[in-house]
Amino acid sequence: MPRLRATFWIYITAFVVLVHLVLLPALYFGMGYVVRESHEDLFIEHARTFSRVLADEFEVGVALDSQARIEDLLDFAITHGGARYAELYERGRSIRSLYGSSEIKTSRSTDLSFGQGGDGIYFVVRPIVHASHRAELRLGFDEQPTQERIQLALTRMLWLLAGYLVVAIVIAIILSHRLSRPIQRLKAVSRAISSGDYTRALNVNTGIRELHELAEDLEAMRHELVGVNDRLEAKIKEKEISEVRREELQKQLRHRQRLETVGTLASGIAHEINNVLVPIILYTDTALQDLPTSSAPRANLVRVLAAARRAKDVVKKILTFSRELGEAKLALIDLREVVAEALHLFSALAPPTIEIRTEIDESLPFVRADSTLAAHLLMNLCTNAYQAMEGAKGTLTIGLRYQEHPTVVRLSQPRVEFWVSDTGRGMNSATVERIFEPFFTTRSVGQGAGLGLSVVHGIVESFGATITVESKIGVGTTFRIFFPAAPRLEEMEL
Amino acid sequence: MQHILVVDDEPDVRDSVKYVLDRAGYSVRTAESAMEALAELARNPTDLVITDIVMPQVNGVEAVESIRKAFPAVRIIAISGGGNFGVTDYQPSAITTTAYLAAAERAGAHLVLTKPFETFELIRSVEQVLGVGHA
Repeated sequence: MPRLRATFWIYITAFVVLVHLVLLPALYFGMGYVVRESHEDLFIEHARTFSRVLADEFEVGVALDSQARIEDLLDFAITHGGARYAELYERGRSIRSLYGSSEIKTSRSTDLSFGQGGDGIYFVVRPIVHASHRAELRLGFDEQPTQERIQLALTRMLWLLAGYLVVAIVIAIILSHRLSRPIQRLKAVSRAISSGDYTRALNVNTGIRELHELAEDLEAMRHELVGVNDRLEAKIKEKEISEVRREELQKQLRHRQRLETVGTLASGIAHEINNVLVPIILYTDTALQDLPTSSAPRANLVRVLAAARRAKDVVKKILTFSRELGEAKLALIDLREVVAEALHLFSALAPPTIEIRTEIDESLPFVRADSTLAAHLLMNLCTNAYQAMEGAKGTLTIGLRYQEHPTVVRLSQPRVEFWVSDTGRGMNSATVERIFEPFFTTRSVGQGAGLGLSVVHGIVESFGATITVESKIGVGTTFRIFFPAAPRLEEMEL
Repeated sequence: MQHILVVDDEPDVRDSVKYVLDRAGYSVRTAESAMEALAELARNPTDLVITDIVMPQVNGVEAVESIRKAFPAVRIIAISGGGNFGVTDYQPSAITTTAYLAAAERAGAHLVLTKPFETFELIRSVEQVLGVGHA
């Protein structure tokens, strides 16, 4: 059987109705009892008191001797005492008021309770003793008016209670509506929140403190949710962006490495072809000079020369692949900027197991170098360092400092020392000796062409700088590059 | 007559340069290595050395340095056709033509020339370095 689910206001209203359906009849019967009792008691009290007073009158006033007096008193009981029957009985003699009802049966004792006898008459019998008289006053009071009053009171009470019930139901409905309206609003908002709409504010205006507090708590929660949601969205976006950036950087690096390989290859081929082109151009040119202008092979030689020059151009074009290296422009640069830029690139690519540290002097003179090549240099050294630490935790330190009197042999000018230090595997002295040779590599086939450090060496030399390497097996490796320091700005001629 | 020594490990380059300069009226000798060139310089008076940079054993940059030291009066033109990273003739000081020639210039070459060059470029460079027309 499905569970019945009624709305809040129906629950409250039904509850109120149920409570009243139990309470109101009880109230009705209880109060009816009290009303009836009090009316009956009053009636009986009156009947008995009246009877006693009348009986006293008979005893005190010697009325028993006068037939007319007796009749007067009995008539008085009918006209003024509320009785419907009045009789004086004395030893076979019975005097009745003529106003009374003749159908009422006599010869009975005093009724003990209201409604006894079932004839609607309450009987009071009082003995009258005076001198030699032994008589009985028999009065019959009509129960009907009292009965009617009771009925009227009960009917009025019933109407009152019914009115009360209606008012109570109306109040219950109004109240439950007032209660359920903010709840409905809370429900709507929480439903909106659960479906992902955090924008609807909870403006619940209610005088009920609990609901108001609940609404406030929910609103606070919504605010929190909005915040959490915003933060989450921001985080996801950030992550997406960093993912995209990472991919972009990796693409850049791959492209760079490919360029480097192609450039190296191209430069090798270029060297060969350029060497071959020298005799072709020179011999053809001189042959052309020797031949008379009318000579038949001349046109052919002109074409040979043109073809050789085209070959020269083609080689030049191929060499634009390695233009980055080939067209290095030396300028005064701040190595700190190069390091910062390369670090930005490298920290996105380095595995998380590697901690990157920097030890950079705050004030450094400029050096004469090509910033693109210097960045290339740094990337090569960093890549080499992290490959040396591959699969393990390690620290990569990048340092920059000014040395007025470098400790390295042969160098006497002020230098800017730039070093990259790793805590990797380290190398033995045989490896260190050959480390800058091209195609020399300790990596397995496919991991690297072994050109990185020879390129580094080439770049360093092209800057007029010096590179040294120190390494210890199991401890790590440090590459140091000593750039000749450019004169400080204040020492430079303006 | 001015004496020129052409140093290159490539016979074709060596011979063609010699041929052009011979025709231009110079007395030209050749050497195929830096060692041979130094020996030749010691043997005969020479005004100008035209040397390649990428050569086996002793490279052109070192050759330039040695010549400058031993024969300071000799003028030098360095020629190069670009980097070659062959294991045997690896030159750490150079990765490109520009870098090679820059290294040679730093070592003391009076002029550098990129291979391949035209006949007139070669002759004009030789004249320039030997100070023809300026003397």
